Amino acid sequence: MPSIFPRWANQFGPKLLVGGGLIGTLATAGVTYYFTPKYTRVGYQPIQPVPFSHRVHSDQLGIDCRYCHNGVEKSWFSNIPAASTCMNCHSLILKDDPRLQLVRDSYQSGTPIPWVQIHKVPDYVYFNHSVHVNRGISCVSCHGQINEMDEVYHAKPLSMSFCLDCHRKPEDNIRPLDKITQLDWKGQVDGKQLVHDWKVQPGESCSVCHR
Amino acid sequence: MKTIPPPCPEPETGRKYWRSLDHLQDKPEVREWIEREFPDGASLAPDGESRRDWMKIMSASFLLAGMGGLATGCRRPEEELLPFGKQPEGYLHGGYKFFATAVPNRDAATAVLAKWQDGRPIKLEANPLAPGSHGTCACVQAAILDLYDPDRATRHTHKGTDVSAAKVVDALSALSKQFASNSGKGLYILAERSSSPSRNRLQKALKDKLGESVWAEYEPVDLSAGRAATAIAYGPGVRAVVKVGNAKRILSLDADLFGTEQGAAGAMAGYAKHRKPGDEMNRLYVVESLLSITGGQADHRLRVKPSEVLAVAAQVAAAVLKGGPVADKLRGLAASSPASTKWAEECAKDLVAHAGAAVVVAGHRQPLSVHLIAAALNEALEAPGKTLDLVSVPSGGDAVSIPEVVSALNAGSVDTLVILGGNPAYNAPADLKFAEATKKAKNVVRLGYYEDETAAISNWHIAASHFLESWGDARSLNGTVLPVQPLLQPLFGGLTDLEVLARLAGLEQTSPYELTRQTLKDLGADGEEGWKKFLHDGFLANSAYETASVSFKPGAVAAAISGPTSKAEGFEVVLHRDSKVDDGRGLNNGWLQEMPDPITKVTWENVVTVSPKTARDLGLPLEKGTQIPQDQKAHDGQYRQITLRVTVNGVSVEGPVWVQPGLADGVVGLALGYGRTAVGRVGKGSGFNAYPLLTSTGPLVSGAKVEMVTKRALVAVTQEHGLMEGRPVVREANLDEYKKKPDFAKNMDLDGHLSYVPRNPDGSIKNIYQSPYKANPWTKSDINQWAMVVDLGTCTGCSACVVACQAENNIPIVGKGQVSRGREMHWMRIDRYYSYDPNIPASSEVAADDPQMVVQPMLCQHCENAPCESVCPVNATVHDNEGLNVMAYNRCIGTRYCSNNCPYKVRRFNFFDYNKRDNSFADADDHHFMDLTGPLYHGPLGKNRYAEKEWEIVKLVKNPDVSVRMRGVMEKCTFCVQRIEQAKIAVKVQARDSGNVRVPGNMVKTACQEACPAGAISFGNVLDPEASVNALQNDPRNYTVLGFLDNKPRVTYLARIRNPNPAMPDYYASPRSLQDYERIRGENPFEEHGHGGAHGHGDDHGKAGGSGHAAMTGGKGGQI
Repeated sequence: MPSIFPRWANQFGPKLLVGGGLIGTLATAGVTYYFTPKYTRVGYQPIQPVPFSHRVHSDQLGIDCRYCHNGVEKSWFSNIPAASTCMNCHSLILKDDPRLQLVRDSYQSGTPIPWVQIHKVPDYVYFNHSVHVNRGISCVSCHGQINEMDEVYHAKPLSMSFCLDCHRKPEDNIRPLDKITQLDWKGQVDGKQLVHDWKVQPGESCSVCHR
Repeated sequence: MKTIPPPCPEPETGRKYWRSLDHLQDKPEVREWIEREFPDGASLAPDGESRRDWMKIMSASFLLAGMGGLATGCRRPEEELLPFGKQPEGYLHGGYKFFATAVPNRDAATAVLAKWQDGRPIKLEANPLAPGSHGTCACVQAAILDLYDPDRATRHTHKGTDVSAAKVVDALSALSKQFASNSGKGLYILAERSSSPSRNRLQKALKDKLGESVWAEYEPVDLSAGRAATAIAYGPGVRAVVKVGNAKRILSLDADLFGTEQGAAGAMAGYAKHRKPGDEMNRLYVVESLLSITGGQADHRLRVKPSEVLAVAAQVAAAVLKGGPVADKLRGLAASSPASTKWAEECAKDLVAHAGAAVVVAGHRQPLSVHLIAAALNEALEAPGKTLDLVSVPSGGDAVSIPEVVSALNAGSVDTLVILGGNPAYNAPADLKFAEATKKAKNVVRLGYYEDETAAISNWHIAASHFLESWGDARSLNGTVLPVQPLLQPLFGGLTDLEVLARLAGLEQTSPYELTRQTLKDLGADGEEGWKKFLHDGFLANSAYETASVSFKPGAVAAAISGPTSKAEGFEVVLHRDSKVDDGRGLNNGWLQEMPDPITKVTWENVVTVSPKTARDLGLPLEKGTQIPQDQKAHDGQYRQITLRVTVNGVSVEGPVWVQPGLADGVVGLALGYGRTAVGRVGKGSGFNAYPLLTSTGPLVSGAKVEMVTKRALVAVTQEHGLMEGRPVVREANLDEYKKKPDFAKNMDLDGHLSYVPRNPDGSIKNIYQSPYKANPWTKSDINQWAMVVDLGTCTGCSACVVACQAENNIPIVGKGQVSRGREMHWMRIDRYYSYDPNIPASSEVAADDPQMVVQPMLCQHCENAPCESVCPVNATVHDNEGLNVMAYNRCIGTRYCSNNCPYKVRRFNFFDYNKRDNSFADADDHHFMDLTGPLYHGPLGKNRYAEKEWEIVKLVKNPDVSVRMRGVMEKCTFCVQRIEQAKIAVKVQARDSGNVRVPGNMVKTACQEACPAGAISFGNVLDPEASVNALQNDPRNYTVLGFLDNKPRVTYLARIRNPNPAMPDYYASPRSLQDYERIRGENPFEEHGHGGAHGHGDDHGKAGGSGHAAMTGGKGGQI
């Protein structure tokens, strides 16, 4: 009786199994690497309309974060300063610098400077700056070493697992309140003690961030 | 081991505790509706599109999404952050502020705080600082939606063409100049009623400048009809302000105190004050023709025709008044009273016994004589100064009424008619033919919020600004001056009435801000500080109307009381203010439209209400085997009602019939305000217009003919939605019974005997649904735990909470067709139950004629052992660490298992993208919110006809702190989690490096709680001993709905206590629902049978209770 299937068909099953497994593994690996915020967000560094340097302002000049981002302790939103805040100094310093033309124009006309947003959580996440900076979480924990950036880039993934890592173990990031905006602080602190004393219970429930 | 609770016994003779007539008769359709979580066909695609079409649309969208993904890489689109050029002082992005303002309505405004966030108002709350502050009514909650209504007047027009605001101002100045030359001859101003002191001042200024001009005021529903009586009894300029909060005995003469009368929120608050069971508990007698929420609260309710109220009032007054000219006058009137002598005499005796703490209120629809009798009664009961204040009210000058304006128009003596607000072309008395008469005026100038019927007869139409975009002032019911301050610039450059009047009068100062400041300066808010304090507090201290020192004039009252005019044959028609859209002003407000009527539970339209007996007399089709007329319901659970034609003097209106238990026989109730022809997209096609029957003689019309029309109409009713079958979910008792056993409610249903339930070794009930806290105790927060208590004793069912919840939580409206399919999205529903005398068999034709009513707000109960959580395959509904049952919308895949497994039926499913629903349609004839399907969101390739500009306006009303849910997602009450989280954050921010992170017990107020005028809802953190919920949870009346399921809900209820008068002929020893419960269960909750405890005992007490009950029923028989 002649065989119905050709001889090479004998190896078809194992080949399919191995090949399929390989493709599956590659796809899974690819998705977990390329499709997660660790890849899609970290390193994002758009060109801003004004070449503002955090390194100069924060690190070299030592201006406190809250001088410009003055809403950070009071609101969920850490505000981008108005042009008028820039002009507090720049009406005297570098007052004719062409790089600051847009700032001066904005101050005069009221037309906003179109800064490109870098850090953004999805709309269904209700992140609140004030509760973090008032309870011992520094800017660097989420934004990275902003004080060393000439141009700001996305330093941390800000994914849900990133949030949860800290909400589960706040002691790794908590620091004394006077060190919140001291971005280069490298001191040691007993995080567990602070978490206990301040009754830090960040919560892992859905309702903490999603409403 | 599976626990099978003992079956809930159903009596063979029918139920006595029901939501609708069909439910009463236990129709198969109702059974089916109960058994299905969603009605038949609920998950089908809307008509007109087959499943195949949907596949096409969906695959196309996937393709598009894929292409989009390729083109943009995997990054989200770039967004810009736009800071200010110059930082405004005090502005903090993301924060919110409250500004004190007021919601004007006729001549009584409500003091509110408007929540302002990111540059716009998003929510109105009662101003807690203002004197006599107490929640808000539903219409106040919904007022903010009008601000963002894309259908409001967005332009000024002259003879139909758009004109600029400057042109309007020029035209007004030209008018001013024209009339300055002849001192205003031919200038008529027809205004809606207002309490604004500034408008009064300008009215006077106008009269000073243009002495010949005529000022008229008109309200189609005149809530101040009683003022004429007060003027006769005490002299002109005197007004009576009822203080229900001081009254222990209240007699309402056709007055819907808690619903459609003025100051309903205040009345509810006052009523609730003395509604706690105890010796100080108040008692409410209601004589009425329609069933109102006030009647639902009544301890004794007398159902009479509207024309008979006078006789009942006279009968009571005859028993109260001892001699005097008024008493002499009454003798003849009382003869025709339908009430038994005993009813009137005992009621009178009770009132007299509480002289000084009793009040009689006459309804605004009733004729002058009833108000006069009420005034005489109040005088005899020593009410003035105690339960009502007689105050003198400053007036802006004489005002004529609309008939004078029409006769002047017809005489040709009107040159220019200025209409300020209102909508007389739609709602003026029909016999006046107002719209025709206006053609005889040379010029009609109209300031209006909508381009409505009146806009069509005006050559100038000036867009009015919303009160949240204008400066002004107002007075509350007791006269306290309130600011009206803007929270944003007028969106469409509207003008206020103050501006128009000032320009007409030719005043130099025309800015509403300056005009208001000037008025307040005169009233005593002097200087910058006084003004700032006025704006900050939201009221002017000690500015209430002054108490009038006047004396009662019995002679004048007696002379003015007249008997009823000759009694006409036929039906009596009551043209009443609608509890949602008022006189028609709220018709384009989707929140109000979709709120189920507190009594009928009808949405989106008005109906012709008749009593069951009237329906029988009319020969409406009867159900086989029973005498009760059938609600005309089709097989799919939808009400298709027979149409009735009501004819008076040759004028007829047609509308779908609604058989309303509790209505007086021979009476037809017609709600005003519907069936408008020139209205926005929401109100288009909603209901029928009853105004053609309203004539100058008033809202009570007799001699009507009613006939059936062979036409049926779909009516969207929610009364059977979320039905909980056969269990005593509402529990009530009389005060005497309560005193016997205050915790009777815990002793009802299976809660009283849980011995059958299998238990764990530790004594707890074996439950297949387990709280996550049990397995993982560390997940339970020891800082905050949330709970709510709802007091059924004070809840009137007014539904303000429903709208407040909708405003706070971005709940979409779904339209009439969707409601009729059971897809309404309200997170909160008010269940209204009827119950009747169990001694009447259900098959009897009179069973539904005169029911008692109970209401129960039902919302997510936040069970600790939540049945919904166990069945969710994707963990979308889970417990948080503070006792909330939360929904993670992003996880939800829409299986709806949770909803099926919810014993309370409080979950809502987004069948469509209601929030993206297209309500800007090209087709003028479309009645989109009325259609069964309507323009639902058709996906990215569907015809999306939303104009971008309109969408921008519609979006503004959304609360930015709450996710807007999309299609295919389950949602439900969250306990206002956004408010909880904001409070937690506020407390933590304040705590900084300390451990004081517990949220104070009463700090968080949910939206429903804040809106409730009666204070029936309490919410708080039970871990704080100060929290008011703690005390209420320990109240003996506290019980759990379906407690035997061991779900351990975080929402508990306080049983309702009634306070009937044992001396009254219609006294009932138990509320009827309780009598029914006792009859069906054969047990008496006032007898101990070991409730709720872990101790085991035999199950034989049921029988023992049964025999005890039999004896009790025998005892009761004599009393009923």
